[in-house]
Order: sequence, then C-alpha cells, then structure tokens
Amino acid sequence: MTETVGVVAEDWLLGAELAPAVDGDPLAPLYSGAADGLLVLPFCPACGLALELEQRVCDGCATTGADWRPVDPRGTVHSVTMVHRLERGLVRARAPYPVADVEMAGGHRLVLTSLEPLPHPPAIGDAVSIGFRRLGDVAVPAFTARTTPHGEREDP
Amino acid sequence: MSARQSAIIGLGLTPMSTKPGGSAAELAARALRAALDDAGLAHTELDGLLVGSSQGVRPDRVGVTLAAQAGLGDLRLLEHVEIKGATTVAMVRRAQLAIRTGEARTVACVFADAPLRAAGGAGSTYARSGGNSGVRGLERASGVLGSVPTYALLAARWLAVTGGSPDDLGSVALAARAWAQGNPDAVQRTPLDADTYRASPMVSTPLRRLDCARPVNGAAAVVLSPDLPAARHTPVRVIGSGRAHPVRRRRAGDESWFGGGRAAVEDALAEAGLSRGDLDVLELYDPFTIVTLCLLEEYGFCGPGQAGPLARSGALAPGGALPTNTGGGQLSGFYLQGMTPLVEAIVQLRGDGGDRQVTGARTALVGGIGGRIDHHACLVLEAA
Repeated sequence: MTETVGVVAEDWLLGAELAPAVDGDPLAPLYSGAADGLLVLPFCPACGLALELEQRVCDGCATTGADWRPVDPRGTVHSVTMVHRLERGLVRARAPYPVADVEMAGGHRLVLTSLEPLPHPPAIGDAVSIGFRRLGDVAVPAFTARTTPHGEREDP
Repeated sequence: MSARQSAIIGLGLTPMSTKPGGSAAELAARALRAALDDAGLAHTELDGLLVGSSQGVRPDRVGVTLAAQAGLGDLRLLEHVEIKGATTVAMVRRAQLAIRTGEARTVACVFADAPLRAAGGAGSTYARSGGNSGVRGLERASGVLGSVPTYALLAARWLAVTGGSPDDLGSVALAARAWAQGNPDAVQRTPLDADTYRASPMVSTPLRRLDCARPVNGAAAVVLSPDLPAARHTPVRVIGSGRAHPVRRRRAGDESWFGGGRAAVEDALAEAGLSRGDLDVLELYDPFTIVTLCLLEEYGFCGPGQAGPLARSGALAPGGALPTNTGGGQLSGFYLQGMTPLVEAIVQLRGDGGDRQVTGARTALVGGIGGRIDHHACLVLEAA
C-alpha cells in the first residue's frame, strides 16, 4: 500500500511533517542506527541496565552517560490499541491503525505502530519483531508480526 | 509571627465553553475577578498570586505576566507553578503554607486553558501539540497524536490483566454523567444509558469518545486567606496534603499502572487525622474513565482488581456508598485539569451543590495527577 511520489516512498500512516527531529535530538543514535537497519537503544555504561530513551543517569547505579548499542529486535506486545481517530492533515491512512507498547528482549519498552497497514492488531503477549518505516527522511522503528520459517506466528 | 490558619474563602469560575473564544489570560482574569467578588475582596487586597497553565505548548498559556494582565500590583508572592495536572493541588498547598509562614496574607490560585480554536476542535489542538523531538517525537511519528492512544494502551492492558470488560469503563462514564445532570456548570448533562455509551464513537480501542474528558475554554480561581468573611460562604479548610512523585521507569516486565501514588493519600489523611471511611466525597482527576478505575485502586479505596466491580455496583454514582466526582468530573463536567476536582469539593463542602449535593458532606479528598500518572498530589478539605 506504499505509494510513491517521484522517487520518495511515502509512509503508509503519517504525513512527513511528523518526521522526528534527528540532528541534535536526544534520540539521534536511535535514528542513526535505524538508518542502517539496526535497532540501537541506550544502556547504562557501567551496569548494563536498559535506560529510558532520554535517561542520562542510571537509576540503578547512578553512573552518568548512555551506551547506545544494537539490540535483539525481538519483543512481545505489552499492550495494543487500534486508533480510530484519523487526524485530518496528519494521518494519511483511511482506516484504524495499531499502536503497540512493545517489551524488547533487552529490557526496553517502545511505543510503535506497525511496519505496514494492519487491519487486525496483534494480541497482548504476541511475539513481534522490529523493522523500520520511512517517514520523510527518517527511518523510524515499527513492529511486525514475528513468524517462523513456516509462516506461523512464533511464541514469545 | 504566629502560624496562621487559612481557608478557601473565594471561588470563581468562568462559563465553561465547548466553543472557541477567549484567550487563557482573559479567562484567567475573569475567574480571578469572580473569586475576589465571591470572597468580598478588592483586587488591591490580594498580595499573592499563583498561576497554573496547561502543560501543552500553547502560545497563549498563562504565566506570571497574568498579574499585569489582571491589573494586580504590589504582590509579595507571585509564581507560575508547574507539575502538570497535579499543579492545582500544589498551588493550594503553596498558598496555605505561604500564609502560614507570613510570606503573604491573601493568595489567589488560578488556572486557565483555551484549547478550542477557531481552526479546529480540542482534539486537533492536542493532536498537533507535542513537537517532534525526544520520546514524544518518536511517539508522534508512530501515530500517538494527543494523549488518547497512551491511555488506551493503559486501558487495554488493565482490562486484559484484571479480566475486566469495557462496561467497567462505561460504568464510570455513566456515574459521571448522572452526577453532571445536577451541575449547571457541566458541559455534558444529557442523560446517558449503557446502550448510548456502547454506541459512542471509538477513539482508540477500548476508549470511546464518552471515555474521554470534555476540554473547554475556561478558567477557575480560588482565594485563600486567614480572614474569614462574615457568613458569606462556609470557609473550606485544607486539613491534609500529600504528594508522591514515584518517577517510575517503563521497562519490560513492569506493569503499566505504575503505582507509587498511595503515599500522597496516606500522608494527606495522616495530617488530617482521618481515615478513608471518614471522607464524604472523593473528587479525583478523571481525564479518561480508565484513570478513575486506576486511582480508586491506587489510592486504596478498593482492593486489587476490584475497581471495575465497584464501578459496576453503582457505588460511585448518586446514591452510592462512595460518591465520586460529584459534579460529573472532567468526563462530563468540564476539563480544567486539577481545578475540576478542587472546585467540586468546595461546592460540596459549602453545601452549594443543589441537585447533586451530597447530604451532610463535611470532608473531601481532592486528587490531582500529572504526566502519565507520574505525579500525585492530594488534599483533604473540611468545611470549617
């Protein structure tokens, strides 16, 4: 369902004006990794605790700084909603879209939409994997159902 | 200087409008004037002003310049207080302590918001607020526009874990609407039944439009003073206060309803020398039906997993054992953040509740929350 205008693929869900700020943003390492197809998230440089995306001092050991590194892209759905309110001028999709709160295997939590339009959302506890949408010039993480090589959904 | 007892002696509201009109500063000035009139005070008698504004990034949010806009001068206390939705409760406590220590004598607390614009409804205003940086930038780039999807995730998780049904949410909406029918300031007063609730448009599953507060353009102000005007209104005393900022982190394995807020209620009750059973009315912060359920459990008014059954039993509604959000709350009354529960508590304790008056109400709990249930501020109020 991805449309193309010229050579730039437009996002299935949102207008490009919602593309995140990248330069100088607290989440710049995430977007930089995403551009290379990697999910890069922050950890405490001393004790390895998974940090929130804007956290800069570890609440476990009080070490300052964040070590951004690629993580296992697998996670499970903590919660999920289908958004029916399609804000005119911002949302391009014409049907309800999913937003999920995903628990990553490495300990982080990410609130993301799906990689592609998804009329039937995953259930709480379902296994998902992280891929990347392109919103304007920015690669943004998004979830996709995790399937086995036989096409069946994997257990978390 | 001896410690001075104060009371809330003035209450002022603008009309609550669901249509565009009025800047936040104009509305704030009008509410302030109304509160001074209610207290029988001239504006020159005010020597303290505390200002609360909506946390959204809006060009016209009120701040300390309101003092100039509202014609005030020679103040001894002037602050813009900001802990998100918990701000109002914090302002009232700040005013009480300032009077107690002699920093100021007569202090007004005012909150105003004007999210409805000619260019679009409040939903659009919220959907377009938040910017594109940091975590909010990533969430907005993921379709989290406004705050409904965030609370929808909370509600979906809550119903899954508690085994609850959407009717748990609906029961909260129905109770709020039943109370609102007796409140002339409420913006949603049409009688509501379960079938109408279930037919309400879905916003973000499982939250329907009727699970969400009604934003208004409006303002409210209160005045605290140690000088009680003769027999104008029943003064309302602040007899307990508590705060909790749990500063939780969202990590895999943690629940979505955060916890850490109960200390605010425990501390407020301890200061007041009361227990939960002594409270005549509960005025909680209810931007979404799910939040009422979360807070009833968080604040210890029911056991784990019992908030849904409690709401379905009718306990929260008129005639119930636990009168809650007796003016219709933010859901059916009006959404002025922490002012909504504070205003209703004052009305009830004055005995001015008219058709929704809880008979013999002498004590009230007022709860304010901020962020995503990150900040809790509670007051126990008593009719003097």
